[in-house]
Amino acid sequence: MLYHTLKKEFLLILRNQHALIVLFVMPTLFIIIMSLALQNTYANKYDVKLNIGVQSESNASAFGAFMDKLNQNQFFNFRLIENETVIEEALSTKTYDFILSMTPNFMENIVKNEEASIQIISRSDVAYQQVAFLKQFLSLKMAEMVIENFSTVLNLKSATQASFEEKITHTYLLKDNHPTQITSVQHSVPSWLIFSMFFILIPISNTFINEKNFGTMDKLRSMNIPLSGVMLGKFIPYFVMNQLQVFCMLLVGMYLLPLLGGDALVIQGSLFLLMLISAVVSIAAISFALSIATISNSSEMATILGGTSNIMLSALGGIMVPKIVMPKLMQDISEISPMSWALDSFLEVIVNGGSFGDIQHALFKLLTFALCFFSLAYLILKYRRD
Amino acid sequence: MAIHITHLLKRYSKNVVLDHLDLSIKQGSIFGLLGPNGAGKTTLVSILNFLIPKDAGKITILGHDWDKNQKEIKSLCSLVPQSYAFYPTLSAYENLEFFGALHGLKHKDLSRQIAYALEMTALEKYRHKRAESFSGGLKRRLNIAIGLLNNPKILYLDEPTVGIDPQSRHYILNVIKKINQSEGTTIIYTSHYMDEIEYLCDDIAILDHGKIMFHQSKEELMKNDHIATLHLSDESQKEINLYENYDALVDVFCEIKEKSLHVKELQLPKNSLEDLFLSLTKKELRD
Ligand SMILES: Nc1ncnc2c1ncn2[C@@H]1O[C@H](COP(=O)(O)OP(=O)(O)OP(=O)(O)O)[C@@H](O)[C@H]1O
Ligand SMILES: [Mg+2]
Repeated sequence: MLYHTLKKEFLLILRNQHALIVLFVMPTLFIIIMSLALQNTYANKYDVKLNIGVQSESNASAFGAFMDKLNQNQFFNFRLIENETVIEEALSTKTYDFILSMTPNFMENIVKNEEASIQIISRSDVAYQQVAFLKQFLSLKMAEMVIENFSTVLNLKSATQASFEEKITHTYLLKDNHPTQITSVQHSVPSWLIFSMFFILIPISNTFINEKNFGTMDKLRSMNIPLSGVMLGKFIPYFVMNQLQVFCMLLVGMYLLPLLGGDALVIQGSLFLLMLISAVVSIAAISFALSIATISNSSEMATILGGTSNIMLSALGGIMVPKIVMPKLMQDISEISPMSWALDSFLEVIVNGGSFGDIQHALFKLLTFALCFFSLAYLILKYRRD
Repeated sequence: MAIHITHLLKRYSKNVVLDHLDLSIKQGSIFGLLGPNGAGKTTLVSILNFLIPKDAGKITILGHDWDKNQKEIKSLCSLVPQSYAFYPTLSAYENLEFFGALHGLKHKDLSRQIAYALEMTALEKYRHKRAESFSGGLKRRLNIAIGLLNNPKILYLDEPTVGIDPQSRHYILNVIKKINQSEGTTIIYTSHYMDEIEYLCDDIAILDHGKIMFHQSKEELMKNDHIATLHLSDESQKEINLYENYDALVDVFCEIKEKSLHVKELQLPKNSLEDLFLSLTKKELRD
């Protein structure tokens, strides 16, 4: 009996193309797009340097040395521009991201600690972080120039900014002390996996509501089938479906993404824990879907109700936008989303190589969430029956 | 008796749908339940199949108490709901396989019952086609085929011919007759098509306003359908059988003439079920 129930449910899913697209194609695309889009937010590398035009009336040879110094970096590309250049045009055509305008005799004055200043001009839509970074970068370079000048005068060995920077290194601390680089893939794979696992709601509510609105549910209820059998017959196939999603999305992260120029997914922690989290997330997603399906009267209602709540939960839970870029208040609010518990557990294992102890709290919350919604669905069905 | 119902009451808040209904249905018969829209036919069938609870009354089905032996009753009966009860994206065979398995059938038993259901409803040709691609008539037949899987002692058919053409209708009626004759299955058939019920059923009841307004066997119904009644001037009545030969007719009229009476009123037989139905349920339009 169970075999045929499962067979039926699988056939229904496999013949529901919309559901397959939502369950497999959507997360694949999201993982690819978001991994590539967020690549630079995670890795501290810029494949495109910002172009900066410099206008100056200083003595050319002294200024040339300063320009060389400025260009020793991986973020900015400084170029001298004619004083007649129309600034607005240079910025609006995006030839330059920033224009620096320096007071006359800037170099001489700064070394002599006399009146010298730089004005940064940009379009209004540049990221504030870029401006702040540029300002900091310029002030450091100016300080360096001054120090170098004094060193020459005092005949001291100069301590350059570069050599200071070498003294500061950055290492990500991992649970098993294997340092590696965090990549955007490690965030986007679990994120969109969770998101699409919750979309198991679509096929569940489709079949459920069709059964309800046609005579199928009446027929089933007029037969000797316990309610628990009906529920189990729903639970298992969708659980298997969810695990299939996990498997596929891990493959996308590990093998497909590198082919497209992204980083390959590296899993620091144990695969067993990953499977455990997947199972718990699946139980939570299916329970949630079952309750949405029981309270909805039509597929449209289920899609709107379930779709909207899924998107809300994911926006809150750090799926759409990584939590690290959220302000503190939003990070705190995101704690109420079950998707956030799921994501934290996945990240703990994938990125930090965490152990069961690190994720048990989140798993417990997810199971509680599942229990609440499963009971809700069960009680509604049972109440409607009697 | 296949089904025995006494004082069955069902109400939705203040709306009394089944009003202390009494009904007995003979085993092995084809019982036709006629009633206008909203009469309570589906409600009655749903209660008998445990889909909704009753408010009062006693029901016995095949000797089992409805309140106590739900499981036994369910295994002996089968419901063909008013709306389609199958999965449109599955083929006829896959649907039958699923429902058969739910009845606890396995392996050979399952294949045998599927073959039987397909044969009875002449769906063999379409077994591997998806149900969504079926015409209305084929869908109705699949609905019935699913109802046959557990060899029920009682088969409930709730308006199984709604929305199909006369050919398919005729075919389905004959399928139902065949099931009744070959297996002795008691059939409970609801409809608002008088002609169907008249053609198919041995036993006919008319349900309206939650009450059985009329319940007779077809024989009895037919018996009356050729008796005309003459109301005579001395307030007496004479019945004449329109099917008998002329001699008898002549006798009746001679007798009237002899007594020098005259006919005040000639009452023709209620010869069709439709007349009966309309006279019992009035002609008002139902919601
Ligand atoms: N769930 C419900 N809640 C309230 N009233 C209901 C409910 N189900 C049915 N009714 C009412 O009960 C009455 C009988 O309905 P029922 O479906 O049994 O009629 P029917 O004889 O099967 O009609 P039809 O020929 O249209 O199928 C109707 O007046 C209907 O409005
Ligand atoms: Mg009805």
